Amino acid sequence: MNSRISLYIILAGLGLVTSCKKSFLERTPQGTLQGSTLETEAGVSTLLIGAYGALDGQADNSGDLIALNGGNSWGVSPSNWLLGSVAGGDAHKGSDGTDQIAMIPLVNFTVDPSNSILNDKWVCVYEGINRCNNVLKYLPLAKDVPAEEYTNIKAQARFLRAHYYFDLKRVFGNLPWIDETTTDYTPTNTVDIWPKIEADLKFAYDSLPESQTEVGRANKWAAAAYLAKTYLYEKKYQDAEPLFTAVINSGKTPNGIAYDLNPAFEHNYMPEYEDANPEAVFVIEMAANIGNGSIANSNQGDALNFPYGGSSPFPCCGFFQPSFDLVNSFRTDPNGLPYLDTYNNYPVKNDEGLLSSDPFTPDAGNLDPRLDWTVGRRALPYLDWGIYTGQDWVRDQRYAGPYAPKKNVYWSASQATDGDANQWAPGSAINVFVIRFADVLLMAAEVEAQLGNLDQAEEYVNRVRNRMALHPEAWVYAYADNTDPSAGFSGDLAANYKISPYPAGAFGSADFALKAIYFERKLELAMEGYRYFDLVRWGLAPATLNAYFNYESQYATDVIGAHFTANKNEKYPIPLEQIDLTEKNGKNTLTQNPGYN
Amino acid sequence: MQLNAVCKVSRGRSLLRTQNWLIMKLTSILLIAGLTQATASGLAQTVTISGKNITLEKVFREIHYQTGYNFFYKNEWLQQTEKVNIFVKDAPLKEVLDICFKKQALSFTIVDKSIVVRKEESKTARFDAPPDVDFRKIEGTVVDELGKPVNNATVSIMGKAAATQTDAAGRFSIDASPGDVLLISFVGYNTQKITVLEGKTVYNLSLVLSTKQLNDVEVVAIGYVSMARKDITGAVSVVNVENMNKQPTNQITSQLQGQAPGVTIIGSGQPGENPQIRIRGLNSFGDNTPLFVVDGVPTLNIADLNPNDIASVQILKDAGAASIYGSRASNGVIILTTKKGKNGKPVVSYDSYTGTQNVARNNVWHALNPQDMAQLKFNALANSGTPVDASAPDILYGSGPTPTLPDYISPAGAHEGDASVNPSLYFVNPNFTNPNDPNSFYQITRANKAGTDWFREITRSAPITNQNLSVSGATDNARYLFSFNYFDQRGVIINTYLKKYAIRSNTAFTIGKNIRIGENMSYTITDNPKLTANDGGSAIGYSFRNQTIIPVYDIMGNYGGTNSDASLGDSPNPVATLKRTANNKGLDRRLFGNVFADVDILKNFTLHTSFGGEDYSGYAHQFNYPTYENKENTLTNSYGESSYSGYDWTWTNTLAYHTVIDGVHSIKVLGGVESYDEESQKLGATGYGYFSFDPAYTTLTTASGSITATSSRAGYGLWSQFGRLDYAYNDKYLFSATVRRDGSSKLKAHPYGVFPAFTAAWRISQEKFLQDVSWLTDLKIRGGWGIMGNQINLGADNAYYTFTGNKNNSYYDLTGTNNSVVQGFSVGQIGNPDAKWEKDGNTNIGIDASLFRGAIEVTADYYIKDIKDLLYNPTLPGTYGTGLTPYQNVAAMRNNGVDFSISGRKSIGRDWRLSTVLTFTSFNNKITKVTQSTNYFLSGASRNFGSQFIRNQAGHPLGSFYGYKIAGFWNNTNELATADAAAQHATGDPGAIYQTDEGVGRFRYADVNGDGQITEADRTFLGNPNPKFNYGINLGASYKNFDFSVFFYGVKGNQIWNQVRWWTDFYPSFAGAKSHTALYDSWTPTHMNAKAPIQENVGYASTNADPNSYYIESGSYLRAKNILLGYSLPESLLKRFSVQSLRFYIQASNVFTVSKYSGKDPEISGATVTEFGIDEGAYPTSRQYLIGVSLKF
Repeated sequence: MNSRISLYIILAGLGLVTSCKKSFLERTPQGTLQGSTLETEAGVSTLLIGAYGALDGQADNSGDLIALNGGNSWGVSPSNWLLGSVAGGDAHKGSDGTDQIAMIPLVNFTVDPSNSILNDKWVCVYEGINRCNNVLKYLPLAKDVPAEEYTNIKAQARFLRAHYYFDLKRVFGNLPWIDETTTDYTPTNTVDIWPKIEADLKFAYDSLPESQTEVGRANKWAAAAYLAKTYLYEKKYQDAEPLFTAVINSGKTPNGIAYDLNPAFEHNYMPEYEDANPEAVFVIEMAANIGNGSIANSNQGDALNFPYGGSSPFPCCGFFQPSFDLVNSFRTDPNGLPYLDTYNNYPVKNDEGLLSSDPFTPDAGNLDPRLDWTVGRRALPYLDWGIYTGQDWVRDQRYAGPYAPKKNVYWSASQATDGDANQWAPGSAINVFVIRFADVLLMAAEVEAQLGNLDQAEEYVNRVRNRMALHPEAWVYAYADNTDPSAGFSGDLAANYKISPYPAGAFGSADFALKAIYFERKLELAMEGYRYFDLVRWGLAPATLNAYFNYESQYATDVIGAHFTANKNEKYPIPLEQIDLTEKNGKNTLTQNPGYN
Repeated sequence: MQLNAVCKVSRGRSLLRTQNWLIMKLTSILLIAGLTQATASGLAQTVTISGKNITLEKVFREIHYQTGYNFFYKNEWLQQTEKVNIFVKDAPLKEVLDICFKKQALSFTIVDKSIVVRKEESKTARFDAPPDVDFRKIEGTVVDELGKPVNNATVSIMGKAAATQTDAAGRFSIDASPGDVLLISFVGYNTQKITVLEGKTVYNLSLVLSTKQLNDVEVVAIGYVSMARKDITGAVSVVNVENMNKQPTNQITSQLQGQAPGVTIIGSGQPGENPQIRIRGLNSFGDNTPLFVVDGVPTLNIADLNPNDIASVQILKDAGAASIYGSRASNGVIILTTKKGKNGKPVVSYDSYTGTQNVARNNVWHALNPQDMAQLKFNALANSGTPVDASAPDILYGSGPTPTLPDYISPAGAHEGDASVNPSLYFVNPNFTNPNDPNSFYQITRANKAGTDWFREITRSAPITNQNLSVSGATDNARYLFSFNYFDQRGVIINTYLKKYAIRSNTAFTIGKNIRIGENMSYTITDNPKLTANDGGSAIGYSFRNQTIIPVYDIMGNYGGTNSDASLGDSPNPVATLKRTANNKGLDRRLFGNVFADVDILKNFTLHTSFGGEDYSGYAHQFNYPTYENKENTLTNSYGESSYSGYDWTWTNTLAYHTVIDGVHSIKVLGGVESYDEESQKLGATGYGYFSFDPAYTTLTTASGSITATSSRAGYGLWSQFGRLDYAYNDKYLFSATVRRDGSSKLKAHPYGVFPAFTAAWRISQEKFLQDVSWLTDLKIRGGWGIMGNQINLGADNAYYTFTGNKNNSYYDLTGTNNSVVQGFSVGQIGNPDAKWEKDGNTNIGIDASLFRGAIEVTADYYIKDIKDLLYNPTLPGTYGTGLTPYQNVAAMRNNGVDFSISGRKSIGRDWRLSTVLTFTSFNNKITKVTQSTNYFLSGASRNFGSQFIRNQAGHPLGSFYGYKIAGFWNNTNELATADAAAQHATGDPGAIYQTDEGVGRFRYADVNGDGQITEADRTFLGNPNPKFNYGINLGASYKNFDFSVFFYGVKGNQIWNQVRWWTDFYPSFAGAKSHTALYDSWTPTHMNAKAPIQENVGYASTNADPNSYYIESGSYLRAKNILLGYSLPESLLKRFSVQSLRFYIQASNVFTVSKYSGKDPEISGATVTEFGIDEGAYPTSRQYLIGVSLKF
């Protein structure tokens, strides 16, 4: 009998286990969504916001600052401070000799394809592209989207995709095209993708509304400006000209403000003026203190770029130090005009080699007032943080010079809201410009000059210069009390500023006009991530940068050994890892850029 | 021929009838059931029986009862047998059987778990001979090797029924005739034979300790069954638990180091740190944790189990042994059984040790003193062309040929008497709540001109204590063991420790004759704050990243640090970092165990069911203080709480059948089903902005700022069926087959995998031609093949393409608020529904040999593991974006190697006993495929370099170091010019240079591909962190009441990547402390035969910016892990106090290490299997001195 009981037990046990096995092996993933949930207007709209969410390239891993792919945050910064500004000679990498060591070869052009930052940049931007593609993939599956909204979503997604490709194309040149129809994720990169970028932007320009309910969205005019910019990069001046004209004359921000220059230059870099900024053609929105202890939404990519040293008020990290060459460029002649070729003959006095305790009197010569909204200089107010005291605020002067960046730095008075102290490095709510109206004017000037309309070009350039020239109230003034910066500014200018528009007819030749326009871009857009890309598309990179390295290496050790090789360094190498990952039938589908094999 | 199993003698009786109980209780004999159980199913290798005139049937029943061995015999045979007198305690089964069968006309053979009884004609004849009637009274005394009287030794006469036992004084008397042979036997001693001589009536005898090991009857638990060791056909390491337990750590896995062939363990000195454990090399690119099976319950975590509770450890290494665990066997299986109660009255055991732990603390990083450091700075700046001179003085050290140390580092460079160091200016509020406050701080910090030894500041000598109490015993039908363990090990680094409480209850009940029911449970509470060690970002890293001029405290006793000047580097103050964790608390709790039942049913069937698993939870909170003393300060305060909990269970049901046909064919069949389920969840939250930092105040509720929370849940299940067949012919030819079919919820399209294995063995020593080789006691040759599986690395949603969103990476401030974000989604997991089981094809050949009657035991194996369809989540091309890449069956890997153990025992004279166990483990790991499209992947941090330096590439071992090989220094510009010219010639580019950032005094890299130029193609494999082999040597000796043991552990043939040297040997590698090498053994024009390159102010690809061979060092070492000397008090003394045994010992561990490694400690673990052997400030292994006591009463 006991055997029988036992037998029953075992059979019951086996039966129980066996009967539940089917459902037993079916588990639902937790905390995630299946694609089918997103086939609605709400779902697709949220995917679209995700596509915007990749603009800054940043993420956070339990307090570690990381890029979207888990890599290096700073190399993928949307401000392009490293690959645009430092590589273009606006600034030094900064900090000290081995900090963020992978950055050095990038900006000294000793880079090899295995550099991890390039790989980070590649992967993070393709993530943005994939998010756009997912919008375009799920949009047709969502049956509840009103037609107008459908077009708006689609056009925004294509606008963003174009932006991502544009951003990457300037760095790597030859890219594989991935869109919502792609099934093979390892296509070649030998087909030029400019036409595809154009097509996306054209669609966006044709389809986007003028105004959007949220200020952060792209609108018709952002698309127009971006399309014109694309034509400019392609040297399609004829195509670009009417678009730029339309943008300048009729363009509006998504919240309906007609494009114009901000009378106060500095307001471009202050969060409180952002929503009403007539200069904001397309910006990447940053938000500080969103309440999650992370700075991944507060321009994390620039978190290293604050003055650093014993008495600096910032905890991090002394990167992105403006170059001597850049500072000298702001020298103006007795007429208030720049020395286009010879600015380094009139160097701006600096405190290199001096201790903070040593006496120092700043330069007394003529200077473009934009300098002191762009560069932190010894003995001048550093926004409202106090007098910039030189070596005390610098990590290693010998390595990267005495200066500090300013445009990305928030003000002390608003630090509680504009700054984000939740991490070891500061976050900031200052938006990053992708296209600023001053940029549009200067691009338009370039197009007009290329087409021979020199007066129009000069008018655009002077409009930019006059913003400063006509608004001395928006220049930098000395503190009312140097020991108490919070007491505000005095009526005395901080330096001897002098700026004027070019006299009528100054743009007598296309050569001069272009030289002046190029130089104006250097000044107006300094430290905003454009310079390297500009130099490359103008064909001036080898001469300009090698001269820069030559000059700069007298004062800073970091550029010793730097050399720009023509017909090679105009593009960065395709990341080796990406090439290695695309092997098909024994061959790599990605082709390395010339000179890097 | 009808064979009956003893368990069926009572067939037909009700299981629960009280009569059975009565019968047992009323038996005139005293049966004391005692055994060392080997598994939950109740197997023992020793037997305890005392009684006179017991029937053989009763003895058989009792043996079955205690050991689980089945007897096969014909009922009628027993009718003719003699009753036996037997007095044995913890005696090996075979010896007990020898005693029982001595006078019987029967013989026996042990076949696996069965005892086959045969009728023996010749014996019958002898038995039938007329008895000799010429009896005389023979008297004597029996003593042991030490001359001590032996109590309860059995004295019998060969071939006769007469038997007696010695008394406490060792005296006996028995009637015998001249010519009779006296047999004197006692457990653990060789049986003595003495022929009774005419006229001699007094015999004083001494017994010699048996050197024979108990292998042939030792039963070891393997997959779902237990088996005599001699019958095992797979590769199984049986660990000597006694040796293992001697290591003073509370982690079983740490104790295993060097104790089991085939197992490689890389530990850490940090209390509670889980060591890396590998069985036979590396089996996957991810987690290589083996499956632990504790009392039949599979688990991946035994960190909290009490090592003192462990009765046996077996390592199943090959497919033949392990693939019955199918899907989870690929990383190897470790079977552990916990102790069970032994026969008799309650035994109380108390074991305790306490001691102190130390590490070398005296300038372990060879850091320069402040004056030398300043000199190095001057040298480096001069070498970079920016010398410190009057026009560019140094903020701290002034200018001139030699630096002048300042009196203060904050204000930087100030001297005594300066107005700036007036203490009345001092203002620091360490508990500031506004991030802007530190801008108004005025800190005054003296320079520590003598130099701060930062490592000394964060270390201390630390106590360790272990208290273990157990009570165990057994009655006829109940067995029990209760234990309690308290372990408290302070770390040598402040505020790290492991404090643990563990209780265990193991009970088993026998109900009727056919049912055994029981449970094994352990509950542990662990408090274990740890450092994220081995990382430049940990307190240990900070101890070589802080210059010696920085004092720990400023003039007012607040923390000093790097904040005063950029040239002091960016490291936090490690003392502050550690001390601020003092109020952080956390506890982990875990209940682990099972309930089980064994039922003998029908004929020869045993049903076993076990339900077990774990229920765990943990909670921790920590306060993150704002900092002010560092260069990179955290300016806000926050407080976090986190908790996790989960459970898993395994329900196993097996049915076993065993029969012996014709006395020579032993057939055992086992079938079973098993289900596994796990669920877990995590919850964490952080609050910001605390009014007060008082630990009594801070909760999430009292945060004034925002609170963020995270949570996650996961679960998965397995469903399995398995079977096993063991066949033995005549105890000589053995064959075994297993198969398992597993289903996993992680796999969608192919949830099921089938894992077969076949093994065979030939006990060649049983063959006639070897019977006469007296020194060869046993020799078995075995071999097998099978497949083991793996899916451990797979996430629960690997199969699904999912979307997810989080504020950090997919939300966006679409409305331009500057302080909030709007929800957005991105791809979470890129799904792969087609993943299937990883398959680890495994071939093994081996031998087991026993020589000189067990004085020497050898087990040796050679194996090949071919891992196919290796599940790996290869980096997808960037064009896929950053969604988590799914695991795919793309890669392949191969391991081969040899592992063996040799053990020996020897007694010398009466007083000396020697023993040794040597283990040897080697493996050779090679990746054979990564993916279809790429043959390598990179891993390892790249923070300090432009690229990652671990390259996992087909044809090379996992975790290989990769970079440029240094061929020397560039000693002058001529060498550079010559190399450049050659490069220009080779490339045809007149602007070409040989090497990026080349320069005099910098490294010259080897042109590996010979193209005349250094490019990334010249990077090469620089080293392998996997040892060629590791070995353990246990030596034991005892002399009279003293015992002595030594354990050496060694590792040979691996390389270490010494990343500490990156920080300390190169001036520009951040402004931390620099080493003597940097100043005194770096390249200068007058010291070209240097170790480090020229010291400059900038890092270059040709110095420290690219990974190169500078960091490679040999990781071989030999460590005296343990030396122990014990003394046991004489039993005669103890008896007076009713104490069974009392032993004292002193012990030293990690006594010395023989190694060429220049770092602190060559034992370098790692975070992952692809990232180890990298030293960036590993937690040091401490030397321990202990005293201990073991008491039993």
